[in-house]
Amino acid sequence: MEALNNLMYGFSIALDPINLMYVFIGVFAGTIIGMLPGLGPMSALALMIPITFNLNPATGLILMAGVYYGAIFGGSTSSILLNAPGVAGTVATSFDGYPMAQKGMAGKALAIAAYASFVGGTISIIGLMFIAPLLSKVAVSFGPAEYFALMVLGLTAVVSLSDKSLVKGLIAAIVGMMISIVGMDLQTGTERYTFGSIEMLDGINFLVVALGIFALAEVFYMLLRGGKKVQKRNEIGSLKLSMSEVKEMAAPVARSSVLGFFTGVLPGAGATIGSFLGYSMEKRLAKDGDTFGKGNIKGVAAPESANNAACGGSFVPLLTLGVPGSGTTAVLLGALLVMGVTPGPMMIEQRPDVFWGVIASMYVGNIFLLVLNLPLIPYIARILDAPRALLLSLILIFCMVGVYGLNFSSFDLVLLLVFGLIGLVMRLNGFPAAPLILGLILGALMEESMRRALQISGGDWSIFIDKPISLVLLLIALLSLGLPVVKKMIQKSRSA
Amino acid sequence: MLRLNINQLLAVILFVSSLGYLWMAFQIPVFPIPRPVDSDAFPKMLGLCLLILSVFLFLEKVPANVAEDKTSKEADVADDLPQTGIMNPKMQVLGASVGVLAYAFLIKPLGFLAASIILGVGLAYWFGYRNHVVNFVTVGSIVLSLYLLLSKVLGIYLPQGIIPF
Repeated sequence: MEALNNLMYGFSIALDPINLMYVFIGVFAGTIIGMLPGLGPMSALALMIPITFNLNPATGLILMAGVYYGAIFGGSTSSILLNAPGVAGTVATSFDGYPMAQKGMAGKALAIAAYASFVGGTISIIGLMFIAPLLSKVAVSFGPAEYFALMVLGLTAVVSLSDKSLVKGLIAAIVGMMISIVGMDLQTGTERYTFGSIEMLDGINFLVVALGIFALAEVFYMLLRGGKKVQKRNEIGSLKLSMSEVKEMAAPVARSSVLGFFTGVLPGAGATIGSFLGYSMEKRLAKDGDTFGKGNIKGVAAPESANNAACGGSFVPLLTLGVPGSGTTAVLLGALLVMGVTPGPMMIEQRPDVFWGVIASMYVGNIFLLVLNLPLIPYIARILDAPRALLLSLILIFCMVGVYGLNFSSFDLVLLLVFGLIGLVMRLNGFPAAPLILGLILGALMEESMRRALQISGGDWSIFIDKPISLVLLLIALLSLGLPVVKKMIQKSRSA
Repeated sequence: MLRLNINQLLAVILFVSSLGYLWMAFQIPVFPIPRPVDSDAFPKMLGLCLLILSVFLFLEKVPANVAEDKTSKEADVADDLPQTGIMNPKMQVLGASVGVLAYAFLIKPLGFLAASIILGVGLAYWFGYRNHVVNFVTVGSIVLSLYLLLSKVLGIYLPQGIIPF
């Protein structure tokens, strides 16, 4: 009852006409920016910080929450239509969303993404409202050893997704981690693998690699494949979902929303791991799991609900503990500090207007997202009508603008080309790109957790198996890698 | 003569690269204050993992579907494109790569608008689009919108170059 009263108080703040306008601006701007390959939620939020300077903290955070949600959904749109995820959290959406678009079902994939995002977002808000304190206690009990094990599990889950070769998946993940540690070691100030280049001191930005490996490599691959038009207008298909399709995706959406929320709560394991775990879980549970990656609707619904739910989940440690769970929530934390609000356990009592206003605005933002995006889907999907040559040249420009806008550096554009060519070689030879991207995102975090854990244990590596949660997570990771091998061996012995 | 398949060739490249990576990991200077794990530990682990995995890759058989995939790709190319001149797929990739490189070096002197329009129109032409008016209008309007959105709405500085606005 108290939660409901608080929520009503939150709605009285969120439904204020000025705040309502900012929710709308946030969701709309976020969707547009997130749709542009290269400009994800982190860039969108960072760009919006100056706008919040003169706003009161509740309004400022309401705007930022809208941008965050909108950018995640916008990212899934470019994943489905262009196979160019500007946001790591929507990479998994492209696995089945893009094949659906290629089959002429782009409209359906976008509609599924919109509904799944709405459900995922709504479930996560309910979770955030009711069980945030409980979950945050669990998350607090995680030490560096547990974080390390969790990240290992996130990586192995993705590698086990790779149908082609476990070895190639692992190689891609290792290479991703190798890229992640380029630059100055933040703990010791030591330069690593910079080759004396000043530009490399800050490391290699995720977007440069992601746009190179996914978008640019895709352009190159399409050029190599030849002159087929990407999509014909009459193949886009209906936005409507049949009852059987709704029934088919209901359970995966519900499961992935809960999983995504829990994943979002854990620091470091945000929308990206949530979406990959949701996808992986549904692939294993589905009777038609072998059609995942070929345009299965559950392969779009699961990661979309999970990544939106993870966004809500990531607010738990941010608002109740003052700990950002991801790079994006770190930007949000920075914005809050600029506005003079320090999140933490006392925030609910000291600034209930901010806490409950944001939660209520998330409900409103989710409705805007659905109302705004579904009617726009047919117009957005028209991008596929463009002549292939024009579309490819425009994708190239979007990639380059996204990368150049990061640091205004020509060096980043050269790196983009390098990663585009690496992505092409990987694609032509059966190396999956997703583990590389995840390795890149998690590599530095894994190293930090590993070093912190070993510092606590005085260099004793058994800390990773002495802690029960860490041990269980590592065993699950091992199991996720072992299962495909065992499955293959059983198949071989049966066919022999 | 020993003939390597594509997996084995890539495995050799990765093996040599991992050796180089490990060598560089051993060159990382030690932090003056003693600590249980230094900056070189994680890179050494990664280098060793890549070394071992490259051996596994060398021993792995090339799956049939990769070979099939390649055949179908070649068939696609053969069906769709004339294989000569700039329409040769490899020439198209080369042209796009040169375009990206040229953009990297010309964006500052020419400015965002001019460099992006030249690149966009030029690449669309290179990829085979011959309706010049539609090409210029489409690329020009999208680049202009992007410029206005980024520089005027979002406040991101983009080089003006030869078009001062």
